[in-house]
Amino acid sequence: MSALIPDKPGEAAHNAIDTARHLSGGQMAWYRFSRNPAALIGATIVISVFFAAIFAPWLSPHPESAGAHVDFMNRHSAPDAQFWFGTDNVGRDIFTRVLYGYRVSLGMVVGVLGVAVPLGVVLGLVAGYFGGRTGFIVMRFTDIMLAIPPLAMALAITAVLSPNLINAMIAITLLWWTWHTRLIYRIVRAQMNEDYVEASKLAGASHFHIMFRELLPNCISAISVKITLDAGFVILFGAALSFLGLGIQPPTPDLGTMVSTGSEYLPEHWWEALMPGLAILYAILGFNLLGDGLRDMMDVEL
Amino acid sequence: MSNFDMSNLILDISDLNIGFSTYGQYKQVLHDVSLQVGDGERVALIGQSGSGKTVTMRAIIGTLPVPPAKITSGSILYRDTELLTLNKRDRNKLKGTGISIILQDPLLSFNPVLTIERQMRDVIRYADVRLGRKRSASEHQSIMQSTLRKVQLADTDRILKAYPMQLSGGMRQRVLIALSLLNNPKLLIADEPGTALDVTTQQEILTLLNTLVADEGLSLLLITHNLGVVRETADRVYVMEQGHIVEHGTLEQVFATPAHEYTRRLMDSVPPLYGKRVRTVTNEHDVQSAIQIDNLSKVFTRKTGLLRMQRVNNIAVNQTTLDIHHGDIFGIAGESGSGKTTLARMLLGLYEPSDGTISFNGDSVQALAGSEAFRRKIQIVYQNPGSSLNPKRTVAQQLSVPMIFSGERKTAVASRVKELLSMVELPESYASMYPHELSGGQKQRVAIARALSVKPEILVLDEPTSALDVLIQNTVIELLLRLRKEFNLTYIFISHDLSLMRNFCNRVAIMFRGSICEQGATESIFSNPQHAYTRALLSSIPVISDEEATQKPTVTAAEKAAVLATSTAVNQ
Repeated sequence: MSALIPDKPGEAAHNAIDTARHLSGGQMAWYRFSRNPAALIGATIVISVFFAAIFAPWLSPHPESAGAHVDFMNRHSAPDAQFWFGTDNVGRDIFTRVLYGYRVSLGMVVGVLGVAVPLGVVLGLVAGYFGGRTGFIVMRFTDIMLAIPPLAMALAITAVLSPNLINAMIAITLLWWTWHTRLIYRIVRAQMNEDYVEASKLAGASHFHIMFRELLPNCISAISVKITLDAGFVILFGAALSFLGLGIQPPTPDLGTMVSTGSEYLPEHWWEALMPGLAILYAILGFNLLGDGLRDMMDVEL
Repeated sequence: MSNFDMSNLILDISDLNIGFSTYGQYKQVLHDVSLQVGDGERVALIGQSGSGKTVTMRAIIGTLPVPPAKITSGSILYRDTELLTLNKRDRNKLKGTGISIILQDPLLSFNPVLTIERQMRDVIRYADVRLGRKRSASEHQSIMQSTLRKVQLADTDRILKAYPMQLSGGMRQRVLIALSLLNNPKLLIADEPGTALDVTTQQEILTLLNTLVADEGLSLLLITHNLGVVRETADRVYVMEQGHIVEHGTLEQVFATPAHEYTRRLMDSVPPLYGKRVRTVTNEHDVQSAIQIDNLSKVFTRKTGLLRMQRVNNIAVNQTTLDIHHGDIFGIAGESGSGKTTLARMLLGLYEPSDGTISFNGDSVQALAGSEAFRRKIQIVYQNPGSSLNPKRTVAQQLSVPMIFSGERKTAVASRVKELLSMVELPESYASMYPHELSGGQKQRVAIARALSVKPEILVLDEPTSALDVLIQNTVIELLLRLRKEFNLTYIFISHDLSLMRNFCNRVAIMFRGSICEQGATESIFSNPQHAYTRALLSSIPVISDEEATQKPTVTAAEKAAVLATSTAVNQ
């Protein structure tokens, strides 16, 4: 970015201390990211989890274990060269089921956040931009939703409907948008004091334009960090629901269900609960490291 | 009263080189900086933002962040002690007792939740701890009292009990000075003293600094960009440009016969208040009226108390009548809180007047506000382009907003963006840049272009150059004058900078506590001010030559007392 043409020769001096100005925003962000080993590890883990989920049928050594497969010859066999993570109580390869379990987990992340984030962001924008009575109503409703214990909500929904993946996702989604509403509301309220909002109004811009073209771009970095951190928590929450038997039903491979079933065989057959547990840990660690890295990189406060 | 003596230095910086490494790049910011302060001497370090003056100051007081900063060579001697190699403990002992600093911002430099007493006591206590000294609470108390008296604050008991927000800006600045004096320093470093204050208060603070230096035998290192302040408070001057000391000498030498080209440019760019260099702007158009403000008032009502039952009225603008002519550059001057911004916001239809009317030749603002016709009538350029431009949108996107909402076609918008950029003398390639890639002056040009994009007749300029360095300020002012001529614009220029107004406006109105106390042609107001407040204001402006200083109006102490709130009593 050496193309800065100074107003007068002296103006070049403005950049004397702030050398960062010579780099573009992207270069600067990448520099910070690449200097953050935790973020790089996080990114690697997240990529590997997505890779595992997408290519599970080709990567898994025993694809038949993904379904209602039974192999009594090999039940409860400890991790070895054939079964890397060992097998479960009906002889299915745990490694295979972990790979397929990631599919379910990531599917849940996409499904939940795909609905909760846009909903939360739009409500936050509306509440923050209009403020006053509108803002009050939206934010107090958000507070009420925040006051509901997530597990109680999930129990209620799956009890009324039936315990399956979709209903579990609905339960999580119903609670998840609130965090985004609060985050965006706070950012928008701060941005409303900036002159550019008033300048847009004086330029005749519509409410829609100011909310989505002027204010939203200023929220994007915070949203993307929040989504990354959320992903880990959604996986964890989904696993918790399945562990309680409220989520995905067998024989679909799911990390939470696997920990739940495996825990019955502790401590002799430790791998049956530990391996899917470590798989959950691995994915969540990845998302959180990446989220923290992005936060440092984009300089946002959550 | 230059008593510079090489043998008796309190501070001796020689060949200081400092660089910063950020984002993998290394940039040297100080190049062989040498600077001396003699005992009892007042030295000013002048430079624009980014010239390296703050880095120099932080190197002296030892608050440079290392890394990213790196001191590559040089030395800083305090008396005979080398500060750069001094161990941390001994260096800390000098804090406040040897070298002390007066901070710039009287608002941000206090902890708002602690009383003044607590904040002063902490400064004394920690100095005692560093020096291994033991003093009683009553000794502390008497030090605080006497120091506050030194900075000419009368009601010391009440000030000690007050929280920072309960004091006026001028009083806070005095307390800041008191804080730096608590431990009897020998060298006082002042970073832009008083620049955050109104000009009349700034004047008091500068007088106080001079008194302190003379009475207490202190040395003063003044760091500032304001040449007028320098003239009133320095014996010797160093001029810094891009990390180099380009010129130094006695105040008289440097100001009368500046040797370096940069110093000359700096001197020339300061708008003169009086004298030959003054430019008188005229309105060549006929005196056709453009805006009629009639008996305009704005009262803000704040509900306070437990049940929000009590109403507190604050009259921001009081029965103001103005007639702004087509082609005018109409200056509205006043100090903070005088109501000038409220007046401007009513002009833009952002506030409803409580009483009175504003109209554009019969079309009232209240009726027009929000319509497209209104937008084509009046637009605004804000003070701080960092805030008025959206950091996440490109220059082209921001410039096109007003046009899109005036229903122009996409192709027309794109060519108009190019036209606007060339109007404000920026290259077309800037269209795709984001604000953070531009300098302050360039950003303000973009803001001006945006205001002009729908071809308004009137521009409200809300201190458009106060966030810019003086050299850049001039280029922006030239641009505004050119645009006015080319597009027959009318400007309403809101500012507290009267020197700039003298050279930019053809008519001015002085606002004082919500009312216009004086208005008329710029030349006559400046040469023959009638109202005591106008005279007090004009006489407080720091100017850069004796010639101007002698032409400033005089104001008697009694008049001053009548129009100015002194900062020596507790503000209720």
